[in-house]
Amino acid sequence: MLFIKAGLQTSVQDFGRTGTMHLGVSHSGAMDKTSLSLANYLVGNQKDNPALEITFIGPKIQFQTSMSIAVCGAQFDLYLNNELVFNNETIDVVQGDVLEFDKLISGARCYLAFSAQINLEKQLGSLSTHITARIGGFNNGQLKDSDQLEFLSTLVVPAKLLDKSLTQSFSGNYLLRCVESVETHHFSEAQKNQFFGSKYKIDQQSNRMGIRLNGNKINDSEKIQITSSGLTQGSIQITPSGLPIISSVDGQTIGGYPRIANIISADLSILGQLKAHDTISFELIDLEYASILFKQKQAWLKSILNS
Amino acid sequence: MSIESLDNKFDIEFEIGQNGDSAITLNFKNEIGETLTKNILLIKDSIADLINSAKLPDIIPAYQSLTLYYTEPLDDIEKIKNQISDIVKNTLLSITKSQQNKSKTSTKKIIRIPVCYEAPFAPDLNTLASFLAITTKELIEKHTNGNYLVHMLGFLPGFLYLGGLDESLHYPRKNTPAINIAKGSVGIGGQQTGIYPIESPGGWHIIGRTPLTLFDANKSKPTIAEPLDEIKFYAISSKEFIQLESQARN
Repeated sequence: MLFIKAGLQTSVQDFGRTGTMHLGVSHSGAMDKTSLSLANYLVGNQKDNPALEITFIGPKIQFQTSMSIAVCGAQFDLYLNNELVFNNETIDVVQGDVLEFDKLISGARCYLAFSAQINLEKQLGSLSTHITARIGGFNNGQLKDSDQLEFLSTLVVPAKLLDKSLTQSFSGNYLLRCVESVETHHFSEAQKNQFFGSKYKIDQQSNRMGIRLNGNKINDSEKIQITSSGLTQGSIQITPSGLPIISSVDGQTIGGYPRIANIISADLSILGQLKAHDTISFELIDLEYASILFKQKQAWLKSILNS
Repeated sequence: MSIESLDNKFDIEFEIGQNGDSAITLNFKNEIGETLTKNILLIKDSIADLINSAKLPDIIPAYQSLTLYYTEPLDDIEKIKNQISDIVKNTLLSITKSQQNKSKTSTKKIIRIPVCYEAPFAPDLNTLASFLAITTKELIEKHTNGNYLVHMLGFLPGFLYLGGLDESLHYPRKNTPAINIAKGSVGIGGQQTGIYPIESPGGWHIIGRTPLTLFDANKSKPTIAEPLDEIKFYAISSKEFIQLESQARN
């Protein structure tokens, strides 16, 4: 597969690596694992099969073998040999076909899955690209113009279509549910009310390491003294400026700023769809409810994947 | 919660807090130091022995904490807190005198790291020396005289959190972090010294650079050191730096 244009940030991602955080290596993997799972389903793969994560500006790709592909997640104007094709359904391609991601319509990241195995070696247990650390993926980084990605065991699979009721839409306005974090009790009621009562805008300096927010600065947060500890995905740290930063898949493994809350696992995939100027707000729920929401989400996904 | 070891040699005091829906963090009240780090690592090993890594793949030690990052959200956190408290208790009780003595006498692994403290590898050496009101020669001597204990790894891949920086070299981080610090840069920030394992932004004063690679994902042991190893820096010339760097490439 030839990348005529690579796009802004196109990288190989699966569900990420685990067991390496004590070495300073965060999990990486797809930021929106829900969309990756759905794309893999449409081409007959296991949900965590490696695929391409495509960000903001998509690539222009020429296929060198016949296979089935699918795109889920962010919606782009998508052309196969200059004809419109769509997200959420299996698309068959043959040698020489050109797939072009044009204008981004909604969301931030989509996943392009293949009915074939990407011919790359795992590093530290995963094909996922850790972009800042240069681990895994294609040549340890994002794809560049003229790169060629090779595939093994390509096949064409029966076509599938996601029911309209199952397709996701990305409004640019989100409520992210949270639970308490290690330092939540260090914040005063006033500070917590300020945070949970505010709408924040996504800063354009956001990436796979962290999502920076603009808006209401939390008063006096620089006075909170903490002990640094393991930083998990979805942790919301309040920086000395009073503005929050949400850590994501390629984030640091140990954090030094106080965490006011953590986004729940069931809502983490939304982080992959945030882009500059989107609006988010936060709601605090209890741990038991977070666990129920996670199980419901798993059951929803399973009902699709097993259909 | 406070737990005393069998021989009263070490009391450990900690709290367990929720760290999102899939992790808990043990925060230790004891002072930062070699004893606490040793105990944290013993506790980490016990937990790793007793809980399946498919359920709990990441156990992350830090100066005064241990974070347990599970695969899925925890549906009964009280049960897990009790289980972990029991493991901590049993670990400390099982550290017998003989083990403590043994760990005291066992020889520490010392890792010697070459550092070139010359231009162009040391952009902040002169300014930091003048801030500290010492000569650059004194700064380099003090930095190379230190024995630095590895407390943990983290932040960036292969970054070593080191203890033991001479107090006269403590100096606050830069107000405005530099955008691009070269891989291998050796810096001082606050009470810490350390090496940037990859090119990254950062607020430390850069006093030298090592030609060694701190993290190599292709090696079975990707990092240059592990917790409780000791780091010693030694000065090399820029000519030696270039030689060592080209050796490392081949």
